[in-house]
Amino acid sequence: MTAEDRAIQRDRMRFIKNSLSANLALLGILFNVFYFISICKSDVGTWYYTILIGASIVYNLVFMLAVFLSSEGVKNYKQGYSYLLAALGVFQIVRIFIIPARAHAAETLINGETALVMQDGQFYRVTTYLIISAVCLIASAAVNLIRCRELAEHLKALDSQGA
Amino acid sequence: MATLNLQHIDKIYDNNVQAVFDFNLDVKDGELIVLVGPSGCGKSTTLRMVAGLEDISAGKLLLDGRDITATPPKDRDMAMVFQSYALYGHMTIYENMAFSLTLRKENPNVIHKKVLAAAEILGLTSQLNKKPAQLSGGQRQRVAMGRSIVRNPKVFLFDEPLSNLDAKLRGATRREILLLHKRLKATMLYVTHDQTEALTLADRIVCMSMGHVQQVGTPLELYDSPANVFVASFIGLPPMNFYDVRVSGDKLVGEGFTVSLTPEEQHTLRGYNNKEITLGVRPENIVEGADVPVTVTTNENLGMNTLVHGYVGGNKAVKISAKLKGWRDYKVGDTASFTFNRKHFFDKETTNAIKGGEG
Repeated sequence: MTAEDRAIQRDRMRFIKNSLSANLALLGILFNVFYFISICKSDVGTWYYTILIGASIVYNLVFMLAVFLSSEGVKNYKQGYSYLLAALGVFQIVRIFIIPARAHAAETLINGETALVMQDGQFYRVTTYLIISAVCLIASAAVNLIRCRELAEHLKALDSQGA
Repeated sequence: MATLNLQHIDKIYDNNVQAVFDFNLDVKDGELIVLVGPSGCGKSTTLRMVAGLEDISAGKLLLDGRDITATPPKDRDMAMVFQSYALYGHMTIYENMAFSLTLRKENPNVIHKKVLAAAEILGLTSQLNKKPAQLSGGQRQRVAMGRSIVRNPKVFLFDEPLSNLDAKLRGATRREILLLHKRLKATMLYVTHDQTEALTLADRIVCMSMGHVQQVGTPLELYDSPANVFVASFIGLPPMNFYDVRVSGDKLVGEGFTVSLTPEEQHTLRGYNNKEITLGVRPENIVEGADVPVTVTTNENLGMNTLVHGYVGGNKAVKISAKLKGWRDYKVGDTASFTFNRKHFFDKETTNAIKGGEG
């Protein structure tokens, strides 16, 4: 890519929305929904962590609202929403240790036999969902931060040219 | 840019209504042709046939010598600007202008350059991040034009683009279209029912009525030498006055007035002696004189000119409108006397203009 191409790309940001960051954020919501459904469909929700699951439902609603608003924010190159998305992304990793890891370690009696509350397959699946969701959110935040800085520099350069 | 040839084009709808009859026109490279005529005369149908939005029932359409009669609209390399702007309300101006190129999967950097260049030409650079609803009608129409410009088409088609604008904005946007044409040197086909637009914009005007081409010529030719009564009545504001007169030697005898003929006019009418013809006189070719007695019904002062309306020789059926220079203060019922400076003659049966040597 030539220097001119890079300059045009930067200039395009004045008129084109940051749809990459916005779409990554929405993808983060999607994988979070996969995670949430997987948890609720299993025995974990009904048997083991009743209060935690209740809190998890509330958190999921807040999470989806916050990420959706952030996706609109980053779409318009608002730098502050990057930090919120990054924080939510990091917390998606932390969530692995709140329900899935504990459920995976806990045992229960099913038809008189001891079994794991969360089997290996389900554990790896929900963990993957959370990790992908986290990666999407953090990537969205990173892309937006880089673009915001580029755009700010470009606008500054345009201003100085104009002056 | 491009040349466009319309050869013996007919448009017949499924219900056997014929909208366009034997339309022939050769549009030169970089020419701005205005199709003008009253509503329902077939001008928009002709334009839509050129764009490919209507099938051509008979005849040929050539673009740069290539037959595109049956070519789909998307492959004709023409851009059309509609009266209703046809902008996407949810997109910004930049996105609206870039849309057609994005659909063609052009390089985004190339699109960016083209959109900025078009916005610069049209003075829309500061509006690129706005939505169409935030712009005035004139600005929206410029965006619609910009969307055409970025495509760099061979032919621009305008379908009454100024009809939705108020009078002031229409004048300003008309001047912008004229400047755009001079700047792009593009081949343009422009449809309007407004003769002012036609006269001010066109390199050549095609005047249509009832699906037939009445006359093709420069604005001056249509104004100064109308081919028939229809063109004479349609071009010019206020419209031309018409009178049934009899040619009598070196005079024209009408109802309530007699006017003298110059030697040139006598020569033109030499085959019509003692015959009835139609005399046409433009209001601006009437001056105060001694030939035509007029009873004034209204006096409209326009500043530089005065429009005087009345009837001739006491006959209320024979009306006259005169555009006199300067300020006049005729009262209703006043009698005045006018002279015709320049006359147009039309055959009463064919309604065609009488040229020298006919008859």
